[in-house]
Amino acid sequence: MTPADVQAPASEQGGRRFGREEARRFFPILLLAVLAAAFALTSSRFLQFNNLMIVAQQAVVLLVSALGMTFVIIAGSIDLSVGAIVALSALVAAQTSASLGVFAVAPACLMGLLSGLVNGVVVAKGKVPSFIVTLGTMVVYRGIVLYFTRGAPISIEDDAFLDVYSGRSFSIPHSAMIAVGLIAVTAIVLNLTVFGREVRAIGGGERIAFLTGINVQRVKIAVFGLVGLLCGMAGLLQAARAMAATAQLGEGLELDAIAAVVVGGTPLTGGVGSIQGTILGTLIITILSNGMNISGLDPYFQNIVKGLVLILSVFVTIDRKKIGIIK
Amino acid sequence: MQIVATNISRAYGNTKALADVSITLRGGAIHALVGENGAGKSTLLKILGGTERPDAGAITIDGEPYAPQSLNEAISCGIGLVFQEITINPSLTVAENVFAGQLRRFRRGGLLTEKTLAGKAQELLDSFSANISVRRPLSSLDLGQWKCIEIARALSTRPQAVFFDESTAFLNHREVEVVLNAFRALKAQGLTVAFVSHHLAEVGAVADRLTILKDGRKVGDFEAGELDREQIQSRMVGRDMSEGMYPPRAERLDGPPALTLTNVAAIPRLAPLSLTLREGEIVGVAGLKGAGGERLLEIVAGVERPSGGEIRIGPLLGAARAPSESWAKGVAYLPGDRAAEGLIAGASVLDNLVMARPPRQGPWFDRRRALELATEMIRRLRIKTSSAKDPTSSLSGGNLQKLVLGKCLAANPRILLLNNPTRGVDVGARFEIYRSLRESAMKGLAMLVVSEDLNELIGLTDRILVMRAGVVAAEIDDPSSASEDALIRHMT
Repeated sequence: MTPADVQAPASEQGGRRFGREEARRFFPILLLAVLAAAFALTSSRFLQFNNLMIVAQQAVVLLVSALGMTFVIIAGSIDLSVGAIVALSALVAAQTSASLGVFAVAPACLMGLLSGLVNGVVVAKGKVPSFIVTLGTMVVYRGIVLYFTRGAPISIEDDAFLDVYSGRSFSIPHSAMIAVGLIAVTAIVLNLTVFGREVRAIGGGERIAFLTGINVQRVKIAVFGLVGLLCGMAGLLQAARAMAATAQLGEGLELDAIAAVVVGGTPLTGGVGSIQGTILGTLIITILSNGMNISGLDPYFQNIVKGLVLILSVFVTIDRKKIGIIK
Repeated sequence: MQIVATNISRAYGNTKALADVSITLRGGAIHALVGENGAGKSTLLKILGGTERPDAGAITIDGEPYAPQSLNEAISCGIGLVFQEITINPSLTVAENVFAGQLRRFRRGGLLTEKTLAGKAQELLDSFSANISVRRPLSSLDLGQWKCIEIARALSTRPQAVFFDESTAFLNHREVEVVLNAFRALKAQGLTVAFVSHHLAEVGAVADRLTILKDGRKVGDFEAGELDREQIQSRMVGRDMSEGMYPPRAERLDGPPALTLTNVAAIPRLAPLSLTLREGEIVGVAGLKGAGGERLLEIVAGVERPSGGEIRIGPLLGAARAPSESWAKGVAYLPGDRAAEGLIAGASVLDNLVMARPPRQGPWFDRRRALELATEMIRRLRIKTSSAKDPTSSLSGGNLQKLVLGKCLAANPRILLLNNPTRGVDVGARFEIYRSLRESAMKGLAMLVVSEDLNELIGLTDRILVMRAGVVAAEIDDPSSASEDALIRHMT
């Protein structure tokens, strides 16, 4: 090879500012921009303040549970019971709102935390794969809700409760403000604490983390507890928005939450991922639904688009160099 | 088959992996390629095997030009390759593994003819006296025998030359012997055998000729016995190794006990053992696989539970139920398999270095101190990386091993447990690992080293325990006067 040949590829690489690596990293934000632009063009209503607030409100429940899911996925596990925990916590919120009013948040979150801890203990101590454990508790938790409600909705009539959790101040939904607060907290926990690093280490290589002295069991239990806690909050917000808890509430939410995390660029293989990505992923999924609705796209066609967008984003964002085997 | 490569060059980007290297491989002879990591040995083998193409130079086989564009083309020209990694699929049978990739040859009407397959596989295994029955389950065979299955696979295409790329890297000395015997059998059949190895003992045992490479250039070709081990090492590293690989030992060792085991059974149901490890002492553990050395480390590290007995760390009781407890008590553990157990490949150098005991203030991770600590470790161990934030995957083998060691030392332990601390590591990096181990010992760190490299135990440690079937069969207080043969005699 002549010296000129050797230099050619190098200069080509230097000149190509937007390579595959950049495409991978910026795809979610690009996708979000393209979607927003497309819907803004097809429907004049899309960019109106009121619609954007509706998007925010719609996004909240998915976002809060997806924030938790981000931790689980980074830790290399999965939680399929998210939707059922949301339903269970919503039930507790609805039941206690009559007597506790605004403070129904405490039992709702406690219920969520407890459900998550049960998942965590069985996964970590019992050494059963998280997929199986949460597949089981998904059915169990949903079953508990059905058992107590007998399938009938439980309405919420406490005005203070509804006002605080589904009202607006300065035209901004309270639920959105709460979500912003939770974004801040989870981002801090993931990025600035030792716990956040331990979660990443476990996802990057559980055996390695274990042998290096990380208390894997404790961290895993804490992670599942954290998701449960967040789902408790999500359940409360969902109940407040619907002014009732129903047995079907949160059905399929776990898959949307996984999709939101993955579309945001966090791989299912664990070890890496970010809260920013999950926010983008949630917005993409919510805007896709909202935009397709207000531009009048055939509702029976919408699911096809959603599924394809999911595959497309993983196709672009997945870092195949870091993942040895794709299962 | 005589293979002559002339003026072979190969560059990756701006790095010259090979520059003007010429080599002649003769039939009926075993040829060793030695050099440090990055010297170009593997690149040369890959070019000969068709998986890489040279930028310049020419190769001939028995005078005919040879320029393979792929491994398959090389195979059709009579070349066979055996790789460093284990490529045995444990869910297949021995015979299926021998003919992996060619199972279609044994179809009749869409079904596999198992009898023919087993017969042909047995024939190949017997052709170099591998002494393996195809009927045995894979789980009952050791790694050396697995390598033999891979050798049989390479032979299944009836090659005239077989190349081995660090095929003994993951084997213990007994398993290595099995593979070396295979080399000898192939040579006796008149085949051309070439192999890459970091272990000069293997080179000395079987090679008829050796070629030393350094930084992509050929240092020279030598006949067997022309150079002694130190001379080979000096030429590989490019500096005088006459002072030896190993740093001088401590003058006296009378520190307080750092680790005391009393009646701990390394292997359940076998006789218990007792040992005392003093501060600043490096104790080696020799033994065959399964003799209890690795198990002993795992018990102290908290990975495995001891069956009875007492473990003290310093004066305090120290049996740990999990590694998190043992690390908290000042016991660091360097596992034997750095890829699966030592380092998170997707994380940065810094992430790995501070993983065990991350600098913290309450719940918060202290980034500034973490960077200081990582930088200090990179400097102390001379880890070659442009920054602490580089991805771990960008490091070479020797540097990865230094990184695992750095991870252990960064936790500032009192006791360091090492399982084969220099496996798959080149001479230069080994030298530096030994130096920093001794340096840490001088500061009072106590070490227990399990190693399959007996010369390493002889050169590095202050005392060697030879284990056999879970008990200490011999204790050698003056390793410098011990020989490899003496250790093996106690082991078997």
